[in-house]
Amino acid sequence: MTATIDQNLAPALRRRSPGRPLKQRIVPYLYVLPAALFVVLFLLYPMVLTAWRSLTRFDGISDPVYVGFENFSTLFQDPYFLLSLRNTVIWTVAAVVFPVTLGLVFALAFSRVRWGGFFKTVIYLPATISAAAAGILFSFVFNYDNGVLNMILRAIGLGDLASRWLFDVPTNTFAMIATYTWQQTGLNMMLFLVGLQGLPPEPIEAAKIEGCTGWSLVRRIILPMLMPYVVITTLLAIVNGFKVFDLIWVMTQGGPGRASETLAVTMYREGFILFNQGYSASIAVVISVVALAFSYFYLRSVLEQEARQ
Amino acid sequence: MSAEVGEQTALGRETRFSSALILTVFWVLPIALLVMSAMKTPIEFSSTSTLTPPSSFNLFDNIARAWAKGMASGFVNSAIYGVVASLIAVVLSAMAAYGIVRLRIPQGMFWFLLIYSGTIFPFQMYLIPLFNFYLDTGLYDTRLGVIAFYVAITIPFCVFVMRGFFLTVPWQVQEAAALDGANSWATFWRIMMPMAKAPLILLVLIQFTWIWNDLLFGLVLTKSESVRPIMVALAGMQGVYGASDGPSVIAATLVGSAPTLILFLVLQRYFVRGLTLGMGER
Repeated sequence: MTATIDQNLAPALRRRSPGRPLKQRIVPYLYVLPAALFVVLFLLYPMVLTAWRSLTRFDGISDPVYVGFENFSTLFQDPYFLLSLRNTVIWTVAAVVFPVTLGLVFALAFSRVRWGGFFKTVIYLPATISAAAAGILFSFVFNYDNGVLNMILRAIGLGDLASRWLFDVPTNTFAMIATYTWQQTGLNMMLFLVGLQGLPPEPIEAAKIEGCTGWSLVRRIILPMLMPYVVITTLLAIVNGFKVFDLIWVMTQGGPGRASETLAVTMYREGFILFNQGYSASIAVVISVVALAFSYFYLRSVLEQEARQ
Repeated sequence: MSAEVGEQTALGRETRFSSALILTVFWVLPIALLVMSAMKTPIEFSSTSTLTPPSSFNLFDNIARAWAKGMASGFVNSAIYGVVASLIAVVLSAMAAYGIVRLRIPQGMFWFLLIYSGTIFPFQMYLIPLFNFYLDTGLYDTRLGVIAFYVAITIPFCVFVMRGFFLTVPWQVQEAAALDGANSWATFWRIMMPMAKAPLILLVLIQFTWIWNDLLFGLVLTKSESVRPIMVALAGMQGVYGASDGPSVIAATLVGSAPTLILFLVLQRYFVRGLTLGMGER
């Protein structure tokens, strides 16, 4: 009887029959290995190699030459890198300030309003399309001659404000951040709505009975309770804003020249257009170190929030 | 909604409703105006204001032109990549999670972390070696290569979710199957997979959307029109025809965005639940 029982399935029975046959013991590995192999081959192995390549001079063809930390010291004297770093900081700050704040405002505004479900869906829709598609569509909105934005400005008598949104520096970075905000706000709003749904109703009811309503209710009762979600959403926005690539690539390609590049774009240009692959790898390492630091805080907040529930 | 915000006087309600309405209109206005542009002929587009409604309906002509100018292959490729890669990834991930949680592979936590570590680093961290690896092995610019990578990149999150699911399945189910003489393979397909239908469908949807919307890996791993995914095709069209044939590029982008948009609208309920998966809620 016991011989016909698959002991992998019934660990309780396993204990009573020590010395499982080898055939039984390798079974779990057959399930886990295919997925593990994909990850090791396509993700982990390239990661390790990038870390190594960042210490080399490498054009992608001839053998890489070990140069120690030369790439990293070059980075901080490279005006393109420094400009890119500055743009990335602007992007990261803006990615928190606009989409997160607006997401919070929308979540609060739509949480109890007629047609609330419809409004939420509409605001979320941009998040379902790709950053590339959003970028292409908004490059038509920001077009100088016939773009929707300039046309509206001219129509309402503000024609002087009409600009070459995607060609002037730093205006183009702000135009792209506006597009990013249009796309990301819905996502942040949804996260806040999840948070609002989880709030206990008792303190809010109690505050209302005390006569605390409107903005003061939000500020004194709801926001403090929502704080863990604010932290999580903010950290997630930092990580995403720091890595932004697609939108910039389709809207300006980092141009004019290299003026609107962020680190992700600089890394791509150095690696795949200029073929300075060792140098490019060192930018990848910088991106990873910063992103990992924020991811660590993000994960810690998520786990804390989980433990609280 | 348990958290009630603000007081509910009639005036307050109406103010709130109208500001929400204005905000929403403002949010869709740019796209609504672009839809008008997508209906114009290229000549009408360049000679009239983008604020003037189209004088005739040319949307389908514009889509047809875009379709012939390189969109077709991108659309078909991404449909294949999205469906095939997400299905393979979900099945392999379910198997791995089953092996880790249900079959109690020795050092289960090690195997889980090994697979999950694939999501920790930003994409930039593997682009260059991946590109060289693809060139060396002949996977570069092949559909097989693109599918293999999309499978790999979607596995860690799927394993994370499926592990969470399998932890909730009661052990009696499995022991009963074992006593009936079922082996682990039969138990996986006949008992576990049917039970896991909800998270499996959710994962396929999330990963299909991710793959469809990807630009970066399409840029790095492909070059020819017959292999490149939809977003690379759209970005390429924008570069080549953006100035001369705006309406067809806009129409193509709208059509190229439709699948993930429609998926969301049809399965909204599941998607919102999926959003919180990453935040450790179920």
